[in-house]
Amino acid sequence: MALDIKKFISRFVEEAREHIKRLGEGLDAMSRDSGDSENINAVFRSAHTIKGSSRMLKLSAITETAHKMEDVLGALRDGSLHYRPELGSLLYRGVDAIAVLVESLAKSGDGATLPPVNEALCASLAQVATGELSAAVTQSSSIDLASDGAQLTVKSTPPPLATPTLPAQAKLNTADTVRVRLAKLDELIKLMGEVVSSHATLRQRLHDIRVIERDASPESWEQHWVRLHHFGLTLRDDVQSQELLMDELHDKALIMRMLPLAMVFDSAGRVVRDLAHSVGKEVECVVSGAEIELDRQMIDKLSEPVIHLLRNAIDHGLETSAVRLAAGKSPQGRVILSARQDGGWVVIEVADDGGGVPVEAVREKALRKGFISADQATGLSDQEVVDLIFLPGFSTSAIITDISGRGVGMDVVKQSIVDDLQGEVTVETRLGVGTTFSLRLPLSLAVMRVLLVDVNGLPFGFTAQYVDELIRVPHEEMLTVVERNAVIIRNEFVPVVALADLLHAPKRLGKTTRSQAGTFDHGMLLVVVRVRNEKLALAVDDLLDERDMVIKPLPEHMCQLTMVSGMVITGRNELVSVLHAPALLELARQARGQASRTEAADHAGAQGTAYKILVVDDSLNTREIEKDVLEAWGYHVTLAEDGMDGLQQARAGTFDAILTDVEMPKMDGFTLTSMLRQEEEYRDTPIVIITSREKEEDKRRGIEVGADAYIVKGDFDQNSLVDTLRSLLG
Amino acid sequence: MNQQEITLDQVLSQQREAKREIVNVDEPTAKLVIFELQGEWFAFQGEKIREILSQVDVFFVPGCPTSLQGVINVRGDIESVISLHELLQLPESVDISSSSYLLGSGAGMSSTIRVDKVVDVVDVLLSNIHQPPTTVPQHLREIVSGIVQFNEKTVTVLDLDRIFADYSHGLG
Repeated sequence: MALDIKKFISRFVEEAREHIKRLGEGLDAMSRDSGDSENINAVFRSAHTIKGSSRMLKLSAITETAHKMEDVLGALRDGSLHYRPELGSLLYRGVDAIAVLVESLAKSGDGATLPPVNEALCASLAQVATGELSAAVTQSSSIDLASDGAQLTVKSTPPPLATPTLPAQAKLNTADTVRVRLAKLDELIKLMGEVVSSHATLRQRLHDIRVIERDASPESWEQHWVRLHHFGLTLRDDVQSQELLMDELHDKALIMRMLPLAMVFDSAGRVVRDLAHSVGKEVECVVSGAEIELDRQMIDKLSEPVIHLLRNAIDHGLETSAVRLAAGKSPQGRVILSARQDGGWVVIEVADDGGGVPVEAVREKALRKGFISADQATGLSDQEVVDLIFLPGFSTSAIITDISGRGVGMDVVKQSIVDDLQGEVTVETRLGVGTTFSLRLPLSLAVMRVLLVDVNGLPFGFTAQYVDELIRVPHEEMLTVVERNAVIIRNEFVPVVALADLLHAPKRLGKTTRSQAGTFDHGMLLVVVRVRNEKLALAVDDLLDERDMVIKPLPEHMCQLTMVSGMVITGRNELVSVLHAPALLELARQARGQASRTEAADHAGAQGTAYKILVVDDSLNTREIEKDVLEAWGYHVTLAEDGMDGLQQARAGTFDAILTDVEMPKMDGFTLTSMLRQEEEYRDTPIVIITSREKEEDKRRGIEVGADAYIVKGDFDQNSLVDTLRSLLG
Repeated sequence: MNQQEITLDQVLSQQREAKREIVNVDEPTAKLVIFELQGEWFAFQGEKIREILSQVDVFFVPGCPTSLQGVINVRGDIESVISLHELLQLPESVDISSSSYLLGSGAGMSSTIRVDKVVDVVDVLLSNIHQPPTTVPQHLREIVSGIVQFNEKTVTVLDLDRIFADYSHGLG
């Protein structure tokens, strides 16, 4: 009877993947400490096992490669060969070659269709094993590119460059199934048993009450009352213990959905090597935090964005060795993929030590491609310019390469992180030092801390990670700026919107909320939501609850409702929409845009002359509000995020007036004012200080350093700002 | 009494009659869920409707088009509530407290449809379901699959798949 080998293939693939992982880890360890004989032994054993089991299944290409690696590792083990970085990278290539073969086997499930062995690589390994290292390494690096390329799926388009490039096959592994430790499953089953027996208790209670009911008669009422009371007490205990059981069952079941980030991170090292190899750069990949667990639903969706960021780091971020050497850096670039927990979030960072995002080039390109107008181009801060790379169709690479730079991707990264995973993406970059992309993600999409509020008698939820604070503000502290409301919270303007208006929430009939009833009317209750550094205060009627809740997805055909990220069920069995804060901000921004445009039209005739104003404030909200006010009155506004930035902007252009905050990082408003007064150009330019500092001595100091006006944010009124400016500008 | 007066001939002829009927009953039928909206009668094919729910709480979801009235909780699953009034160009029902909700699936999605009341669930001979007449108004032509007479009223049979297809492509 013929042996059906196919049955064994999948078992081999599983086993080989495990050993490939161990080989990778072992080689990493070897590069740090080449003398660790226990480690060399372990690596040797893994190579040996792969060789042995692949031979049994007649997978000769795998056997051959593993065999050659085993020879080299054997030589390392008995000391006839010494570890060198070049040797390490050759061994890595061996592991990668085996991994490619195993994955191709996993796909086809048939050993006969296995790609041929990479002869050049095996020859190099064989040479190394006999001690001819230098010759082998140089030889292999020239041949490898071509032969590796042949093994991978080659796209139909011809390579654009003369040298054959490798269409980088970058894919991280994701799983359809979850391996659950038996202990975890047993716990769950045990709990399930408890629930079943607890249900039996309840059935007994039902029986008890029936008996009481049957025995009850008006004559013996007192006696029955005692029995009823007793029944009530036992039922209460039962319900309480059932509740504990349910909570535990819930927690245990959810844990099963958690997977370590290693699912995404483990293959990152290989992906980075493949990609780096294909663009001819030397790259080291450092991975940390792979043990952190996330909901598997998130793990599945994470691999694409992470891959894209890695690609981006290697292709755009890191310079070539020659450029790096010229800049005084190590020729080998470094990509760090790390994860850490931060409160209820997990932060994943992809950092490179490359050249940084060339801000001016991005600005220029955005202008050329028509993403922004010339006015905007000069007005955007560096951070805002860097954020332009997330626009659809934006790519900064001068040459379109095979790996990235086709102008797709960064927007997709942002979309999948923000929309699908309820997270945030930020980028930090320093010219010549490097770029870091940070992904902030909730631990799980299934359970989140939810704040429930009441609007028009209807409940709505906010996921806690977007809620910055809850405050009650007296009505008289509300300011009106460009036909909309704002409050000042700690030196910052925050726009206020009634949540009911934003959502067009209907009034629920027959239900009066506490604030409507007037008993608690100490002012407006505001939920301040924050997305990155932008804030929005939402006026609500009441706070209802705050606890961990299971978020249920909306039906698929309703997923286009960006405002709602899911639903929760309250104790009273009500379905409550959980609002997606970024969408609310967007909606509020649109509404605001319309308001300021209509107002601008109102004032356009009155104003006429377009003065140029520089607004310096470290709060994005404050900058935006001041900008809106001024633009509504026909002024041209440029923004700066701190004193230093303000000084640079002022020196780079000419302004008719400058508005500045006092407390700012890098340089405060007093210093900025006195510095500007020393500049020939700004000796007589009106400078207005806008601050929450009300003290007389601060005012005096403001005047001393040369400010023309001092406006306290507390009594801010758009008319006073406009009037002050008008009188100063004449 | 009367029974004793029946002759053998009569018994035999009754049996023959009965046999003939058994042979005749094989005409194909279709199950229809007939419901009322603003006094007019409509129907969906029975196999498209999984369940009929009544006395449920509908919860508001912000940002929905007017024909999507919110969501309901069907034993832990969230299902949307579609109102056909707009599609059928009927005035919106004022009191929805006595409404019923037909949980249907088709075109790869599921949702409930709010109706004023369910009239009946009946088996109708296929031959009694007629092609919609050419006088069917333009706005209905796409979604009407037939016309049938029931209890001396005209019932318009609607195509659930066509209605749902519009929603799965983008919220109606």
